[in-house]
Amino acid sequence: MKILVCIKQVPDMESRFKVNAAGNWYDETDLAWRMNEYDEYAVEQAVQLKEQLGDTPEVTVVSIGPDRVVEALKKALAMGCDRGVHIRDASACARDPWQIASIISAFAGDKDFDVIFTGMQSQDRGSAQVGVVLAEELGRACTTTLVGFEYDNGTIIAKRELEGGLKGVVKLKTPALVTCQLGLNVPRYPTLPNIMKAKKKEVAVIPVADLLKEEALSSTASAYPPLRKGGGVVLEGDLGDVADKLIGILREKAVVRR
Amino acid sequence: MEFTREIYWNVGHGVVGPMYLFSFAALAVCVWGFCRRLPVYRLGKSLDRLDQLPRRIVGMARNVLAQARVVRGFGPGALHSLFFWGFGLLFIGTLLVMAQADFSQPVLGIVFLKGSFYKLFSLVLDLAGLAALLMLGGLLVRRFVVRPEGLATVRDDYVIHSLLVAIILTGFFAEGVRMAATEIGRNPELARFSPVGLLVGRLLAGMTPDTLALTHKALWWVDFFLAMGFIAAIPFTKLRHIVTTSANYLFADLGPKGAIGTINLEDDSIEQFGAARVTDLAWKDIFDADACTNCKRCQDRCPAHATGKPLSPMQVVKQIGETAFTAPEAGLTAAVGEDALWSCTTCRACQEICPASIEHVNKILEMRRNLTLMEGSFPGDEVRTAVNNVEVNGNPFGLAYAGRGEWAAGLDVAVMEEESDIDILYFVGCYASFDKRNREIARRFISICTAAGIRVGILGKEEKCCGEPVRKLGNEYLYQMTAQENIELIRGYGVKRIVTTCPHCFNTLGRDYRDLGLEVPVEHYTTFINGLIRDSRLTLTPERFEFTYHDSCYLGRYMDIIDEPRQVLAAAGGQLAEMARSGYESFCCSAGGGRILAEEKLGSRINVARVLMAKETGAPLLVSNCPFCLTMFEDGIKTGGCEGELVVKDLAEIVAERIVA
Repeated sequence: MKILVCIKQVPDMESRFKVNAAGNWYDETDLAWRMNEYDEYAVEQAVQLKEQLGDTPEVTVVSIGPDRVVEALKKALAMGCDRGVHIRDASACARDPWQIASIISAFAGDKDFDVIFTGMQSQDRGSAQVGVVLAEELGRACTTTLVGFEYDNGTIIAKRELEGGLKGVVKLKTPALVTCQLGLNVPRYPTLPNIMKAKKKEVAVIPVADLLKEEALSSTASAYPPLRKGGGVVLEGDLGDVADKLIGILREKAVVRR
Repeated sequence: MEFTREIYWNVGHGVVGPMYLFSFAALAVCVWGFCRRLPVYRLGKSLDRLDQLPRRIVGMARNVLAQARVVRGFGPGALHSLFFWGFGLLFIGTLLVMAQADFSQPVLGIVFLKGSFYKLFSLVLDLAGLAALLMLGGLLVRRFVVRPEGLATVRDDYVIHSLLVAIILTGFFAEGVRMAATEIGRNPELARFSPVGLLVGRLLAGMTPDTLALTHKALWWVDFFLAMGFIAAIPFTKLRHIVTTSANYLFADLGPKGAIGTINLEDDSIEQFGAARVTDLAWKDIFDADACTNCKRCQDRCPAHATGKPLSPMQVVKQIGETAFTAPEAGLTAAVGEDALWSCTTCRACQEICPASIEHVNKILEMRRNLTLMEGSFPGDEVRTAVNNVEVNGNPFGLAYAGRGEWAAGLDVAVMEEESDIDILYFVGCYASFDKRNREIARRFISICTAAGIRVGILGKEEKCCGEPVRKLGNEYLYQMTAQENIELIRGYGVKRIVTTCPHCFNTLGRDYRDLGLEVPVEHYTTFINGLIRDSRLTLTPERFEFTYHDSCYLGRYMDIIDEPRQVLAAAGGQLAEMARSGYESFCCSAGGGRILAEEKLGSRINVARVLMAKETGAPLLVSNCPFCLTMFEDGIKTGGCEGELVVKDLAEIVAERIVA
């Protein structure tokens, strides 16, 4: 069995974001980088599947971006993936989901991966499209937002998170692609021997030009922080006065009878 | 009148042969008993504990002969020491008798147990025996009548107590019988130098000479065989501590207090990090278990144990020994318990008080290293998140690293990236950088330095967590990664002197970073400020206030800084009301050992226990010197219901409020 995990390196969401000079994305100074949270669930599930099958499957992890993404690939390798593929692309952040999916599709097209894991979405762009578009391009069965995963003899039983707290169970035959959601698993903390081993694992580098054949279908026109709207008010002072003030506000802002 | 006595009176010189035969047999059993234990100690990894031999021998002498560490536990410690000295004198007395009776007299014709020396000899030995008996009685009452909580009584305790009491009593009775037959009435001038023997002898005065002779013979042999039994029993009972604890003083850790072995992460041949089995520990860690006397002083001082958590430092040491002797292949985590391992705050109270020089803390750290580095375990999910935060943003809060220097906005501080001509580098640490309450302390520290004309530099957003909490949780890898980055930065700026406000940063930069190549002197702000006051660079207007002071573990026990902060607070006008547990006996705030990152889910809250101790002094103010302590006490005052009765302040706040402009 061959397994592929697609991961993205994203800024830590607590970072101080600034809009870039072009005004269409964030500036990269002063950002701390990490593996996209949902992709960590994907890596963990891939490694668990490998372990379930007696370590026979080979797990490949792929990431598109500038050289810094190798850090994320190293982490995935330390968690238990076997080999890394770095599709070197300094302008990855400017690509739309269609192009990203097409690049991965061009890489994976002839490699017969039985199961492909991706995150549900990226924490920075959040399109949630790359996984499903990739499945479509490769002609694979696909299901999204997994919170449960079981595999038995060519069949995946996936538990999905639906709207309104509902869960759905989907059965699909491999080859297939699944996208992973919070709650699927607890990503392991790499052990030191595995971190050491990861340093020696192969990370193949492919220039993006070798794989990118598609034009973008969409482009980001503008990026800006949300406008400040309203805010909280803390009422302080004597309890009676506070109650009066509150009633005043409710009368003014909302419909209060009597 | 001759002042001496006939050695081998009544029993005759014929006993010499059998006596030596049995003595050698008892000694042989004793040696054999210890030899059987050697292979078990050898299960541990090699470790040189015989370097600096003269220093080691002096330390051993101090602790064995002067009982330096034992005597600190006043009640039972003093009883033990007096017993030891008494019993020791009896042993020396026996050796002197042997030296004269079997060597100097028959070989050289020299008799020295006579005249005034014999009088002194008799008196000293009688009093020593009496003292030993009384102390033994005290210990007996403590163990079997008072029964202090946590003091486990096992088979060995019955054996040892009965053996020792019997040896001393039969000794006194044999002496009394001999005196009744040979001294009392005949040589009263000499008899009064053996007051106990005299007393016993008078009780037996009515016995016929034949009965006396027979009784003496019987008592002599009983006493002899009890003494031989004692020697033979040493390696098989807790009596072995006579040898092992003494040896442990010789093998004591002479390195800097609190030093932890720095793992060489470049070494590809290491396959096991930390201790999964006893074979992963050093031989000394196994030997420590044999040196332990179950005195429970460590357990009595353990903050985790005191608050109902499943940790007893004594049990950890015992469990390692038990595993080594009974199932050396078994896993240590299972033997000790994962919850016990994570409960430790590394406060070092156990190790500080241990009368046997046992090293508790590093054993726990080695087992934690195995849990963290080999199994990827954490004491809780909140710790996993915090550790990941340290990895990504260089602080456990997960806040943007770019905001690390923002606390200093508007202050006259040099950010090293822009200006590196400074007097001191202030290594701020995560709490003073990000935590709202502790940011005030950082700002106060700067105002103190500014008043003293000290130019302060900070690393700003380039600074990272010193790595202490993750290291104490066992994550040596992440510690070394962050440490290396800090060290390269500090070196790059050519820093000459570092001051920290956090005792954890202070220990880590000042001691642990040495192993990774940082040589710059590091100081804690309490001693730094004390120096400024002493050198008249800083003048305070003393303003009277009452307070109690909390010695943080990593300043007091780890760095021996006890007096300097008190001097600063006295200079500020403080009237100190000490807590019952202060200085080296201070009680942890709960946040050491990486516990600052963990929720306290087991037992009751340590910080509340400590806040209540502070409240008991009646002082309205608790002064601390550590951001972790401050955080814990702010919380403990609220959750412990002490709001309005007690406030906590940092030493820097007290000083800053009293600066003469």
